[in-house]
Amino acid sequence: MTDRYYDWVALLFYVAATALTHRRLRVAQAAASLHHLNVILMVAGFLLQLTGLMLRGMSLQRCPLTNLFEAQMFIAWALVLFYLLIGASYRISFLGAFTAPVVTLILLTGLLAPIDVPRVPTLKHSPWIELHAAIGILACGALALAFVVAAMDFVQDRQLKSHHPGPSFRLLPAVEQLDVIGVRLLILGFVLLTAGMIGGAISYKLVGAWPWPKVVWAWASWLVYAALLAARTIGNWHGRRAAVATMAAFVFLLTAYWGMSWLAR
Amino acid sequence: MNLVLVGLNHCSAPVAVRERVAFPRAKLGEATCELLGTAKLAEAAIVSTCNRVEIYALAADAEQAAPALRRYLHAYHKLTEPLDEYLYERRNRDCIAHLMNVVCGLDSMVLGETEILGQVKDAYAAAQLAGATGAALNRLFQKAFAAAKHIRSTTAITRGSTSVANVAVELAEKIFRDLAHSTVMVIGTGAMSEATAKALRSRGAGTLLVCGRDRERSGALAAQLGGRAIHYDDWPVEFPKVDIVISATASPHPIVTRDKLVPLMKARHNRPLFLIDIGVPRDIETGCDELENVYLYNMDNMQQIAKDNLAVREREITICHELIAERVTRLAEWLEERYQ
Repeated sequence: MTDRYYDWVALLFYVAATALTHRRLRVAQAAASLHHLNVILMVAGFLLQLTGLMLRGMSLQRCPLTNLFEAQMFIAWALVLFYLLIGASYRISFLGAFTAPVVTLILLTGLLAPIDVPRVPTLKHSPWIELHAAIGILACGALALAFVVAAMDFVQDRQLKSHHPGPSFRLLPAVEQLDVIGVRLLILGFVLLTAGMIGGAISYKLVGAWPWPKVVWAWASWLVYAALLAARTIGNWHGRRAAVATMAAFVFLLTAYWGMSWLAR
Repeated sequence: MNLVLVGLNHCSAPVAVRERVAFPRAKLGEATCELLGTAKLAEAAIVSTCNRVEIYALAADAEQAAPALRRYLHAYHKLTEPLDEYLYERRNRDCIAHLMNVVCGLDSMVLGETEILGQVKDAYAAAQLAGATGAALNRLFQKAFAAAKHIRSTTAITRGSTSVANVAVELAEKIFRDLAHSTVMVIGTGAMSEATAKALRSRGAGTLLVCGRDRERSGALAAQLGGRAIHYDDWPVEFPKVDIVISATASPHPIVTRDKLVPLMKARHNRPLFLIDIGVPRDIETGCDELENVYLYNMDNMQQIAKDNLAVREREITICHELIAERVTRLAEWLEERYQ
């Protein structure tokens, strides 16, 4: 059984978690019992993906981050990891319902797109480079969850502004809480991104080669998130504007990463 | 053996009658024991709330038990006028269905209200403590509580608030992370603003400021709700610290305008602000709602939400009755098997 089969089965669990969202929206009061089911499905998907990543890592004899497909699987996995940590610590039951569709989308596009192309590494094998790449992907996971939280914030703000709260109104947390969690996730993602960049600078200096498309992407993303963080903390951006900017920043991060990876190919 | 119910509620009797036949909570156990002795019942439990008084009993002969329960109500409350026109009776299957409807809030004045479940649980506990319940009533009440739990978790019968004051609280809870850290300002005193402020305070709202032209009145309201009274002219000074504003003045012009609000929002670092406009004519300019992080609701908006919530509950009634019917059948079969 190859690692891709594990990813496909994990996808089924995430699809089931997404389908559960529909049910939870219909019966808001059933949130408690359905929330547990949602967490079980997400944990199962998480463990299956972890198995897939480990199998791929063992066959490559290195951290499975050699092509776009592996990076995408890793980002989805990191997103679920942060969801499980943040969702549990802040007791946000509906976070999983918003995370599941995003993970499903990342996994599905990764599995369907012709991006799982074996690549012969151009640079000398270095555990430092692998560590830097893994930290960078974890940063993407935290920023992906910041995107999810911003989407929840946006939806809740719209419902409050419309004066006609929809079915998700009672399931979503308060806009102020989502705002606080969003900023904390941005700080976490930004710190990881910065650590990844510093690690990358040291590693590539040791190896003696610079992957320029990646360097440009990393700097551009770092600047975008630095500006966003400044706006949300010093500039007092809250609510809709902050949510839209956070979602846009992540879309930029992901599309720029895809673009950079295609260029690198 | 038969299950018998005799009682009255807000539909069958006016409040003047209900208040005369209500049992004091502390005397429920004692009254149930007395009832067992006088009416020759195997088991009994009395449910008494502001909207209903119901006696549930297990008796060998239902034909004799029902009039005995009526007589007991008369005698216990020393009534002189007849009660019969206000009382209803249910037996066996209908009695089970009735209790299940009651605990699920389907028979309440406010459809789907949840307070009744706690009240019936208290009544059952009192009867149990008095030794007035046995296998039949224990099973009846426990199955009814289980039905209520199931229905509350699988249907939308308790979804949303159906009163304007509670709608305001529900909205505030979806804006602010923690109501305990929020400051509420009431501008202008009146029944509706008082009810809304009270509802917010009961849900843990932190500081309360009451501001009105009539110092005595605002001082009294502040004292009643544990808040602080401020002078009407001082509200713009306090405003940057405030998270929730309940405005209900008789002012002919808006007192909070968009132009006034823009610098105030800057002063409060653009944190969310919940404006509740109860005034007629309106106290808060509608343009304020266009500002980011400002959530403005007037009476019409909140009444509409309360109405929508009630409509959602009403749509669930059929599903609830279907769920109850299954449980009624199972329990009725168990009772028949055991007692016949």
